[in-house]
Amino acid sequence: MADASAPRTGRAFAPYPFVPERFPAALPPLRDGVDRSRHRVAIVGAGPVGYCVAIGLAVQGIDSVLIEADDSVCAGSRAICISRRSLEIIDRLGALPGFLATGLPWTGGRSFYREREVLRFTMPNDANQRLPPMLNLAQYHIEQILLERARELSDRIDLRWQTRLTGLEPHADGVRARLATPLGDYALEADWLVATDGGRSVVRESLGLALTGTNYEGRYVIVDVAMPSDRPTERLAFFDPPCNPGSTVLVHKQPQDVWRIDYQLRRDEDAEAAVRPENVLPRVESLLAMIGETAAWAPIWISLYRANALTLERYRHGRVLFAGDAAHLVPIFGVRGANSGIDDADNLAWKLAAVLQGLATDRLLDSYSEERVAAAKENLRHGTKSTEFMAPPSFAFEWMRTAVLGLAVRHESVRSLINPRQTSPIAYTGSSLSRAVESSADFAAGPAPGSVLVEAPLGPRTPSPRAADGHGAYLTQLLGSHFTLLHFSKGGTLPADLGGLDAEMRGLGIRWHTVLIDPGTDDASATLAARYDAANGASYLVRPDGHVLARWRRCAAKDVRLAVARVLDRIGAHGGGG
Amino acid sequence: MNAEDLDTVYTDLCRAMTAVGEAQAPILLARFALLAIVEIADAGRLRRLIAAAAEDLAEATGKRES
Ligand SMILES: Cc1cc2nc3c(=O)[nH]c(=O)nc-3n(C[C@H](O)[C@H](O)[C@H](O)COP(=O)(O)OP(=O)(O)OC[C@H]3O[C@@H](n4cnc5c(N)ncnc54)[C@H](O)[C@@H]3O)c2cc1C
Repeated sequence: MADASAPRTGRAFAPYPFVPERFPAALPPLRDGVDRSRHRVAIVGAGPVGYCVAIGLAVQGIDSVLIEADDSVCAGSRAICISRRSLEIIDRLGALPGFLATGLPWTGGRSFYREREVLRFTMPNDANQRLPPMLNLAQYHIEQILLERARELSDRIDLRWQTRLTGLEPHADGVRARLATPLGDYALEADWLVATDGGRSVVRESLGLALTGTNYEGRYVIVDVAMPSDRPTERLAFFDPPCNPGSTVLVHKQPQDVWRIDYQLRRDEDAEAAVRPENVLPRVESLLAMIGETAAWAPIWISLYRANALTLERYRHGRVLFAGDAAHLVPIFGVRGANSGIDDADNLAWKLAAVLQGLATDRLLDSYSEERVAAAKENLRHGTKSTEFMAPPSFAFEWMRTAVLGLAVRHESVRSLINPRQTSPIAYTGSSLSRAVESSADFAAGPAPGSVLVEAPLGPRTPSPRAADGHGAYLTQLLGSHFTLLHFSKGGTLPADLGGLDAEMRGLGIRWHTVLIDPGTDDASATLAARYDAANGASYLVRPDGHVLARWRRCAAKDVRLAVARVLDRIGAHGGGG
Repeated sequence: MNAEDLDTVYTDLCRAMTAVGEAQAPILLARFALLAIVEIADAGRLRRLIAAAAEDLAEATGKRES
C-alpha cells in the first residue's frame, strides 16, 4: 500500500527513520533434498511472536530453527503499543533494555466529541509498578530488538531468512515441511512445529483449518507521518471532529518523531481511492491544523485496515501448535494483537520445553491450547466491544454512540462507554492446571490461582538475582524460566522440608527457585505480605509464565511436589504423591 | 450498576435495535423508554431525564456546515 512516489499533492513521502538490515538466504547441508539434521522444533514465521517462541525456548535450553519468508524485519505500519504484561515477558526473555531505551511510555489519553473533551482515561498504574502500562514503539523496532536477542542466542536459534514454508505433512511423531528459498527448495523434518506465520498462515491452510468469527465492515485508513513535536505520548481520539466531520480519528506518538494517524472511512467511500495520497494528505493536514501542529510534516506510509475478530477452535493439532495471528486475529482497537501473541509464546515455551526435556507428557500442551483459546475468547470479547464503538457495525451502534458522545459532555455516568478498553492481563480462571492442584481457598487478597503476579517492590534484604545491586528490585524480577516458590516467613528461615526443594527439583531437571520473604524485615516486605494476604507460613507457587499455580496458607514439601507432579502430568513418573 | 454491566446492557440494546432494523428501531426505543418509565416510577426524576435527553440535542447531533 505504501507509495514512495511523489503524490500529486506535491508533498513528498519521507522514509521511516529505520533502515532494516537485509539478510541472505542460505541452504543447510542436505541429503536427497532434505535437511540433514532433524530438528526438535521448527518455528515458522519470525514476527514478534515467532521470535518470542524461539527466545523463550532458548532460555529454557531448547534449540529451534526459525524460518522466515522475508529478508528483513517487517516494514510498514503495524503494532505500536506494547503492554506492561508483554514487557514483563520480554524482560524474562532478556530483551527489556532495548524496549525501554527505544519506546515511549504512556499512561492514558483523551477523547473528544466535536470540539469538546468527553473523556480522560488512565490505565492501571500506581507506585508499586516497575514498568509503564503501555510503551509505544514501531513493530520494526520490536522485531529488531528481538532479532538482536535471538542473535545473542544463535547457538540455540538457527534463523533462516528468505525461506518460505510452502507445504506441510503432519505425522504422528513430527512434521515434514516443504521450504522454498531463492537458492532452491528443500524439506525439513522436526518433532514439533510452531506456526507463527501470521494472519495468512500457510500452515493453517495446509492443515485445512480456518479461523471463525466476525469480519467487520468498518474500514480505517492508517497513516504514519514524520513530524517533530513535543506533544506528550497519549492516546487521542476524535469523534466527528471539525477537521473530518462524520469520521473518527486516532492519534498516537511513536519514537523518532513518527506519528500514527488512523481515521475511519465513511460507508460510501471507495477503499482504493481512499488510500490515494491526494485523498489522504488533506485529511491529515486538516487534523494537524485542528490540534495546532504547525511544523513541517511528511507522510511515510498509508494502508487500509479492517477489523477481524477470529480464532481457531484449538491451537494444538497433533505436533503442530499455533500462536499469534496465525491462531487468532483480534481487532487493533484495544491493542491486543501482538500483545496476546506474546502471551501465547510465553505460555507455550515452558510447556514445550518441559515436554521436550522429558519432564512432562505432551498433555501439558493441551493446556496451552485450552488456556490460550480461552484467553483469545476474552480478548475477542473486549476487542469486539472496542470495535463496536470505534467502527459501529450497524445503524444502532452508531445512534447509541451519538447518544453517548453527546451526553458525555454533561453526564459523567456514561463516559465509561467511551473508554478504549486497553488490553489487560488475563487470568486462566478455570484452567485445568489450576484445578489440578488444591489451593487454600481463604485468601482475602493477592492473585488467585490462574492470575498473573501483582507487581510489588521488594525489600532490600530479599535476594533478587536479576536486580543489579539488589536494590530497587520488584517481585516480577524474581521470575525467570523456572517455577518460583514464594514463601513468607517471619524470622527469615525456610522450614527444613521446603529448604530441600531447590536441590530436589533441580535434581529432577526442573528449573526451580525458592524465594524467602520475611515480612518482619522492612516496610516493603510487610506491605507485600499484606497485599498477598500472606501470613507467616503462606506460599505462592508461580509458573514460569508468571501465572500463579497454587497458594497455600501453610504448605509442606509434599504439597509442592504433588502440585508440580500434577501439572507436569508425571504422577506415575516419580511418585509425586509423596 | 458498574461499568461492565453498563457496557453489557448497552450492547444488548444495540443488538436488539439491529435485529429489528432501522425502520422499527425507534418504536423499540419508545417501548423501551416506556417500560423504563414505569420501572423508575419517579415523576420528578423522569422529567429531569427527559429534559436532559432533549438538552443540546440539536447542538450535539445536528448537521454542521463544513
Ligand atoms: C495497523 C495495525 C496496528 C496494530 N497495532 C497493534 C498494537 O498497537 N498493539 C498490538 O499488540 N498489536 C497491534 N497490531 C497487531 C499486530 O501487528 C499483530 O498482531 C502481530 O504482528 C502478530 O504477530 P505474529 O508474529 O503473530 O505475526 P506477523 O507479525 O504477521 O509475523 C508473521 C511472520 O511470518 C512470516 N511468514 C508468513 N508466511 C510465511 C511462510 N509461509 N513461511 C515463512 N514465513 C512466513 C512473515 O514474513 C512474518 O515475518 C496492529 C496491526 C495493524 C495492522
